[in-house]
Amino acid sequence: MLVSSSTASGSRSRIKLGMWLLLAPLCLWLLLLIILPHIELLSFSLSDPDEGGLTLSFYGEFFNEPLYWRTFLRTAIMSILATALTLVIAFPVAFFIAKMIKGRSKGILFAMCLIPFWVSELVRTFGWMILLRESGVISSGLQWLGLADSGVELLYTDATIMLGLVYSAMLFMVVPLVSTLDSLDDSYIEAGYDLGGNNWNIMREIIIPHATPGIVSGCIIVFMLSLGNYLTPVLLGGKDSLWFTEQIYTQFITRFNWEQGSAFGILLLLLSSLIVWLGLKVTGQSFTKTMG
Amino acid sequence: MIPSIKQTSFFYRIYHSYLVLFFLFLAAPLVVVAAFAFNDSLFPSFPWEGFTLSWFFSETGEKIGIFFDSELLESIALSSAIAIVTTLCATLVACTNAFLFERYSFPGKSFLYVLMLLPLVIPGVLLGVSILVFSSSVANYFEDYWFIDLEFLRPGLTLVVIGQFAFITTICTLIISARLRKFDLSLEEAALNLGATPIMAVFTVTLPYLKPALIGAAIVSFLMSFENFNTTFMLVGSDAPLTVAMYERLREGSTPVLNAISVLLMLGSAVLAIINMSMQKKA
Amino acid sequence: MQTDAIDLACENICKHFSEFTAVDNVSFTIPQGSFFSILGPSGCGKTTLLRMLAGFESPTSGDILIKNKSVLDVPPNKRPINMVFQHLALFPTMNIEQNIGYGLRRQGVAKAEIAERVAAVLKRVGLPDSGKKRVDQLSGGQRQRIALARCLVLNPTLLLLDEPLGALDLKLREQMKIELKQLQKEFGTTFVYITHDQSEALVMSDQIAVMNQGKFEQVGTPHELYYQPKTAFVASFVGDTNRWSGVVKSSVNQEDHQTQYQVTTNDGLTLDCVSQSSDIPVSSNVDVFVRPEAITVSLSAMDNCLENQLECQVENILFDGAKSQIIAIDKQSGGCITAAMPQTADFMGLKAGDAVYLSFSAKQALSFSEKQGEMNASL
Repeated sequence: MLVSSSTASGSRSRIKLGMWLLLAPLCLWLLLLIILPHIELLSFSLSDPDEGGLTLSFYGEFFNEPLYWRTFLRTAIMSILATALTLVIAFPVAFFIAKMIKGRSKGILFAMCLIPFWVSELVRTFGWMILLRESGVISSGLQWLGLADSGVELLYTDATIMLGLVYSAMLFMVVPLVSTLDSLDDSYIEAGYDLGGNNWNIMREIIIPHATPGIVSGCIIVFMLSLGNYLTPVLLGGKDSLWFTEQIYTQFITRFNWEQGSAFGILLLLLSSLIVWLGLKVTGQSFTKTMG
Repeated sequence: MIPSIKQTSFFYRIYHSYLVLFFLFLAAPLVVVAAFAFNDSLFPSFPWEGFTLSWFFSETGEKIGIFFDSELLESIALSSAIAIVTTLCATLVACTNAFLFERYSFPGKSFLYVLMLLPLVIPGVLLGVSILVFSSSVANYFEDYWFIDLEFLRPGLTLVVIGQFAFITTICTLIISARLRKFDLSLEEAALNLGATPIMAVFTVTLPYLKPALIGAAIVSFLMSFENFNTTFMLVGSDAPLTVAMYERLREGSTPVLNAISVLLMLGSAVLAIINMSMQKKA
Repeated sequence: MQTDAIDLACENICKHFSEFTAVDNVSFTIPQGSFFSILGPSGCGKTTLLRMLAGFESPTSGDILIKNKSVLDVPPNKRPINMVFQHLALFPTMNIEQNIGYGLRRQGVAKAEIAERVAAVLKRVGLPDSGKKRVDQLSGGQRQRIALARCLVLNPTLLLLDEPLGALDLKLREQMKIELKQLQKEFGTTFVYITHDQSEALVMSDQIAVMNQGKFEQVGTPHELYYQPKTAFVASFVGDTNRWSGVVKSSVNQEDHQTQYQVTTNDGLTLDCVSQSSDIPVSSNVDVFVRPEAITVSLSAMDNCLENQLECQVENILFDGAKSQIIAIDKQSGGCITAAMPQTADFMGLKAGDAVYLSFSAKQALSFSEKQGEMNASL
C-alpha cells in the first residue's frame, strides 16, 4: 500500500492499482445510487409526459395550489422550530453529561440517552400513541385524578407533532453536543471565573463559541430528520398533519403522478440545501468538518 | 457549572429535576409499549386486565401471539434477510472507502468526500423516491429497447436493499475511518520490514486493528436496516418487511401483538447495543 | 513586618479527599509585592493549595485571608486573585485583545477604557501589535506573556501561577524565568508561583516554601534553603547533594549555636559534620549531606584546615561545560562521590583512573537525624 517507501516503478504502479480498486466501489455507489437518481428525479420533474420535451408546469402547479406551498412552508417552519426546541432541551443535558459528572456515572447517563434510539422509530412513535390517544395512558391518568370528565384526545395536534419530532431527533443533538463540550477543558471555564465572569457570560462567551461546531452539526441533522420525517406527522398528526413528505408519497404511490412527486422532491431538496447552507454560512462552519 | 465552581443548592435542585424529567421523557414511550405487551386486553390501553403472555405465546383465538402470527414472522425473516445483505455490502464498501480516504491523496478527493457525506442530509423519503425513479427508468429502457425484463429494478426486496445501502454506507464509512485514522502507520511498516507483502500487512495487522470498528459498523448498519422505514416504504413491492407490516397494522388499529413484537425488538436492540458498546470500550 | 503589608495569609489550611490528605495544616503569610514560590514534587499538594487560593476548591479546615479579610465565602469570580493556568487557558475562540479585555468587560469597564488598558498592558509585556492576532498565531513565550497580561490588566492583589513554564522548551524556559521576574518587579504584584523545578524557584523567588506530602518543610529565601536546609528533604530536593547514612559517635557544642558531630558512615568513613539541631544523641542514626560544589578537589593530599579529606580515584567525568562533574570512588569505602569540577588549568587533563583528594569542611556537611529521613523516605 502507500506505506511502501520503495521508489521502484513496480511498487508505484501497485499503489496506483490499489487506489483505482478502492476508488471503483466508491464511485459506483455515489454515481449509481446518489447522483444519477437525483438527476433522474430532476429530469422527471421537468419532463412533459404527454408531449415530451421540457416543462415547468409541475412547479407551476406547486405555486398555484395553495395546499401544496402551504404544506411546504408549514413543514419548513415546524422543522426549524423543532430544531430550536431540541437544541434548547438537549443543551443542559449534554452539558451535565459532558462537564458536571465524571467516570462511571457519566458513561451510564450517556448510554441512557443513546439506548432509546437503538429502538425502531416506529416503536417509539407507537409508544407516544399509546400515551397520548383518547383512550391512552395520560388521558386515563387525568380521568383517574379527576382532572378530566371524559377521554382527552392529545393526538392529532401540531403540538403532538412537535413533541414527536423533538423526541425522535433528540439523540442526534445530544451526541454532537456532548462530544464538543467534552473537548472543552475545565480550565477555560475556571479561567473565565477567575477573571470575574459569571455563569451567564461564561456560557455566552466561552462555552457556546466553543460548542458551535457541535451545535451546528446537531442542528443540521435534526433539521434534516424533521423535514424528512414521515412516521411522526402521519401517525401523531393524523389525516390533517399536512407534512410535505406525505405529499411526495401521495403523488408517487397513491396518485401515481411521478412527475409532480419529483418536482416536490426537488423542491424539498432545494429547501433543505438552502437552509443548511444558510446555517453553515451564518455560523462560519464547513460542511465537511461539521458532518465528518 | 463544573464541579470546581459551586452553585446555589437551589440551582442544583432545579437542574437535577430537569434531568429527571428529561430521562422520564426519553423512557416514557418505551416503558408503556413494553408494559402493554403483558396486558390481558384486546387493546394496548387501560384498564389493566391482568398479566398475560398470550401476546407472545397464544396459538389461537382472538389473541394470536407473536410467535404464531405467520404474517409478522414472515416479515421478520424478510427484514433479517434484507438487513444481513445490506450490512455485508455496506461494511465492505465502507471499509474500502475508509482506506481510500485515509491513505490516498488524489485530485478531487475533498469533493468526493463531500459527496460521500451527502446521504446524511438527504431525507430518507427522497432517497427512496429518487432511486425508485432512476431504477424504473433503467428497467423501462431495458424492456423497451432490449426486451429484457429486469425484475430486480422494480419495487421489491432488491430495491429495498439498494436504497438502504445507499445511506448506510456513509455511516459505516465514518465509523471505520475514525478508527483507521488512529492507526499508527509504523505498525504496517514494521510488518513490511518483517517480510510481509503490502496486502498481507493489511490483512494481518491493519484489519485486526480495525475489527472493533468493523463489528461496530456492522451492528449499526444491521439495526439501521432492520428498523428503517422511510426509504424502505418507498421501495417495497408486495412483500412487507417488518417495519412496513407493523405500520400497516398500526393504521388498521392495533392489538397488543405489536407491543409484543416491540418488546422483542427492544430486547434485540439492547443486546446489540450492549455488544457494540463493550466492543468500543475494549478498543 | 507590619500587618497591613501582608497580602495573603493562610491559617492552618487542611484539605482531605475522602481517604487522602492533600494539604496538611499549612500556614504562611506573603508580604505585599513579593515573589513567593511553592516548590515540591508532583503530588505534594501544591496544586490543591493553589486551587484553594483561587477558590476552585474549599479547604476542609483553616482560613485564607487576603488583606486580613477571610475570602472563604467569596466565589472565585469575586476574589481579587487571578491565575495563570498550567496550560494558560487562553480562550481559543477570542483574539488576543478579547482575551485580555475579558476580565475588564466583566467589570463593566467602558469600551474606550478597555481598549486603552489592553493596549497599555500589551505594550508593557512587549507585544504591542498582537492585539488582533489569534491565540494560535503566537509562539509559546508570547502566549505566556498574554496569559500574564490577561491577569495583570485587572490589577489583582495576588497572581497565582500554576507551573506555566512547564510546556516550554529548555531555552525558552530559561529566558522566561528572567522575564517573569522582571515583569513581577515592574508591576509590583504579589506572585504565588508553584513549580516542581527548583531552578525556576531559586532564580525568581523572594521566598520559597518547600512542600512535601501536604506539609511545608521549610519557608525561606533561596539562599537559606540552599545553604541552611532545615530538613533532609529540603537538603536533597533543593540542589544536588551527596548523601551518607551513618551513626553519631560523638558531639561537641560549638560557640555559634551549631553542634559538631562525628559520624561513622555505614560504609566505614568517619566524617565531621554539623547540624541545626543540637539534640541528636550519640549512636543515633543520621544522614549526612554534602553538596558537590562544596567539595574542594586537589590532585595531592592537602594539609588544609578542612575537617574531612578523602582519597579517591576518578571513575568518570560528566562533562557539561561549566557544570562538569567528577564522579569519584572513595578508596577507603568504595563509595561513590560527586564533586564539582574545578575550572582551573590543573584539572583540564583530569581523566578516569587519576587519583584525587576530595575535602570539605564540617560546616558544609549537614546532618539530619534519621527520624526526618524516614519521614521523607519517598526520596
